[in-house]
Amino acid sequence: APLPLQKLRDSSSETLLSLSWPTRKDEPYRFTDTSYIKSSEIQPITNPPQESDFSSVSEDTHLPNITIIDGYLVETLSGLSGLPEGVYVGSLSKLSSEGILKRLSEFVSNVEGDLFWSLNGVGAPDLIVVYVPEGCRVNAPLNLRYCSVKGSDVGSNTLPVSNPRVLMLVEKGGEVGIVEEFVGGDGNKCYWTNSVLEVIIGEGATFSHSYVQTQSLGAAHIKWTSIRQESASTYKLVEFSSGGKLSRHNLHVQQVGPDTVTELSTLHLSINDQTQDLHSSLILDHPRGYTNQLHKCIVGHPRGQAVFDGNVRVNRYAQQTDAGQLTRSLLLVPQATVNVKPNLQIIADDVKCSHGAAISDLEEDQLFYFQARGIDLETARKALIYSFGAEVIDRIPFAYVREKAKSHIAELLVPTVKSIA
Amino acid sequence: MMAHCSTSSSLNPSNLFSHPTFRTKTLSIPRLCSLSSIRIPQSHCATNRSSLRRLPVVAGAVAVDSQASYTDEKEGKKLLLEVKDLTAVITESQQKILNGVNLTVYEGEVHAIMGKNGSGKSTFSKVLVGHPDYEVTGGTAIFKGQDLLEMDPEERSLSGIFMSFQSPVAIPGVSNADFLNMAYNARQRKLGLPELGPIEFFSHVYSKLDQVNMKMDFLNRNVNEGFSGGERKRNEILQLAVLGADLAILDEIDSGLDVDALQDVARAVNGLLTPNNSVLMITHYQRLLDFIKPAYIHIMENGRIVKTGDISLASFLEKEGYKGITAA
Ligand SMILES: Nc1ncnc2c1ncn2[C@@H]1O[C@H](COP(=O)(O)OP(=O)(O)OP(=O)(O)O)[C@@H](O)[C@H]1O
Ligand SMILES: [Mg+2]
Repeated sequence: APLPLQKLRDSSSETLLSLSWPTRKDEPYRFTDTSYIKSSEIQPITNPPQESDFSSVSEDTHLPNITIIDGYLVETLSGLSGLPEGVYVGSLSKLSSEGILKRLSEFVSNVEGDLFWSLNGVGAPDLIVVYVPEGCRVNAPLNLRYCSVKGSDVGSNTLPVSNPRVLMLVEKGGEVGIVEEFVGGDGNKCYWTNSVLEVIIGEGATFSHSYVQTQSLGAAHIKWTSIRQESASTYKLVEFSSGGKLSRHNLHVQQVGPDTVTELSTLHLSINDQTQDLHSSLILDHPRGYTNQLHKCIVGHPRGQAVFDGNVRVNRYAQQTDAGQLTRSLLLVPQATVNVKPNLQIIADDVKCSHGAAISDLEEDQLFYFQARGIDLETARKALIYSFGAEVIDRIPFAYVREKAKSHIAELLVPTVKSIA
Repeated sequence: MMAHCSTSSSLNPSNLFSHPTFRTKTLSIPRLCSLSSIRIPQSHCATNRSSLRRLPVVAGAVAVDSQASYTDEKEGKKLLLEVKDLTAVITESQQKILNGVNLTVYEGEVHAIMGKNGSGKSTFSKVLVGHPDYEVTGGTAIFKGQDLLEMDPEERSLSGIFMSFQSPVAIPGVSNADFLNMAYNARQRKLGLPELGPIEFFSHVYSKLDQVNMKMDFLNRNVNEGFSGGERKRNEILQLAVLGADLAILDEIDSGLDVDALQDVARAVNGLLTPNNSVLMITHYQRLLDFIKPAYIHIMENGRIVKTGDISLASFLEKEGYKGITAA
């Protein structure tokens, strides 16, 4: 294996030795039950997908794109035309530039993760690289399609696991947008996607990140996003997750220079018997950072659950930071559960901060206002739920992704609204 | 120095829905769904003091009897709304608010209801449009020959009653244009007419903006969100202009309006008046009545209409106050 991948595997196996399976007694998993994975027989996917697997993967018309099936980059299903000179998107093993290889080696697996992070490091069949050279602006968003093809039936108690891993480096002044889309398996197919994205955003560089997760309702989806922001860089994330039986996003943003901009927006939908979890941590160690986090979730099932633990830490040297954090939850059925823990910790003293948390049902007065204008209750509920989510979806910078997410929400809401209206 | 602001709430079903803080947020579903089932049978023993019309004797006869009433005419005008001995309580506390309201409105008539704060004017109008905060405990309300009290709120609206709220709510996340479009299309569906897509609707609504002197960008803003008091009122009238109504109930459409805005709103309302549709306005001030001239003025007190007169009642009120009325 190429050096960075070997390095990753070595350090991951080493940390794995000291890690055990998280339990409800561990703070990061206090509200999130991972026994769905633990109690299943886990089958690592060790072979690249076959031609016959491709039929279930639809052609993506949005270029440039790469398709990653069960953790393996499939070149025949990818199209990279139109990328500017010097940009590299592809497998580490095919990377010929010594210079880039050297740069990547400096960063690979520098961040501490958890058990799932390390499992991915050991199990990743490849390291998929996105490299944007200095001052380079990539106009069209790059689509990363993660498809899970291998899966077991409900009740079989086996989970094929894939470990896609992407390392991305945006050099000084570079600018790129990425759409990560996780799909796979109609209905209730069972599998485990254990994915890691590691990004270094260089000085003054901009990374716009859209992450859409609509995997099967039998899937376990564990995702790590680790971001390192150098001075004056910008990171904007918009996440929409509605798939999976158990879905957990660990988001870690580390500021390594002043004047950074960080905007995190998430919409989680637990419309079925499922758990959606966001654990985010944003650490500010340098002056004049701007950060804003908006987390929203809708729970519409008696056994549905949403978990949010959002830690923003403004350390001593992060003076003149402007930090905001807001979480809002919408519970559509009485038995629905949310566990939210927004947490803004401020150690610096010259800081502007705002935060809030609200949990509610749809407002009765608002529903009545619709009815008083001749709009039936079902339509009214739908409009209100939809607009609740739209605040996040509207922040997705790419129209086709917005439309996709919106129609997905509309589809999910049809049966729900009917049954509760 | 360390400031630590952190909130942690762990909510499971039982504590969320029993916690006092969330009392007002309990789910509306059961109540709204059972609108018709909570309606207790109408009382048949109502003594009919104020109206000469015959009361239906058995509940089953209501529809038939009232159908006859609708064709009932006064100087060639059809009966539009007939409320008899209407009583209502606050759903949550069962506190009595309406104590037997009687009111008859014919097509093309303009009526005004005046009365002290808290006398039940807004409650009466909200009961007519089916607000779930109130439960009707007796009496009847017939609109265009149909039993209003048996209808869902949206059906009442679609059948031609429009109430502008004294305090319209804001609906963050839903644009004024989308909201109006939804309401307009609901009406079109009901009438069996084609619905309009967003672009067609925009040009339809554009012409109405002038009528209430509203700027285009109001359509793109969220419903009443961040609107000033006066802007909310104008927005209610815009909705009326777009949707139309046989009976417009205007609850204090004049309060909070500056002189220019009052004229705009009054002009818009007058512009909507035809020989066939009626207005029931609630106001505290003579000045609105100078613009929109009512034929009848009713005084409400303690959940009942205690006096009905012509426009002169308003000027009397202006001079003497409510003491004069009650004593009279
Ligand atoms: N939902 C409610 N909950 C509690 N009390 C209510 C409710 N609705 C009405 N009331 C009470 O019923 C009475 C009548 O209220 P209503 O709003 O109908 O008065 P109004 O005549 O419109 O007064 P105003 O002129 O101030 O608008 C008041 O005492 C009011 O506090
Ligand atoms: Mg009132």
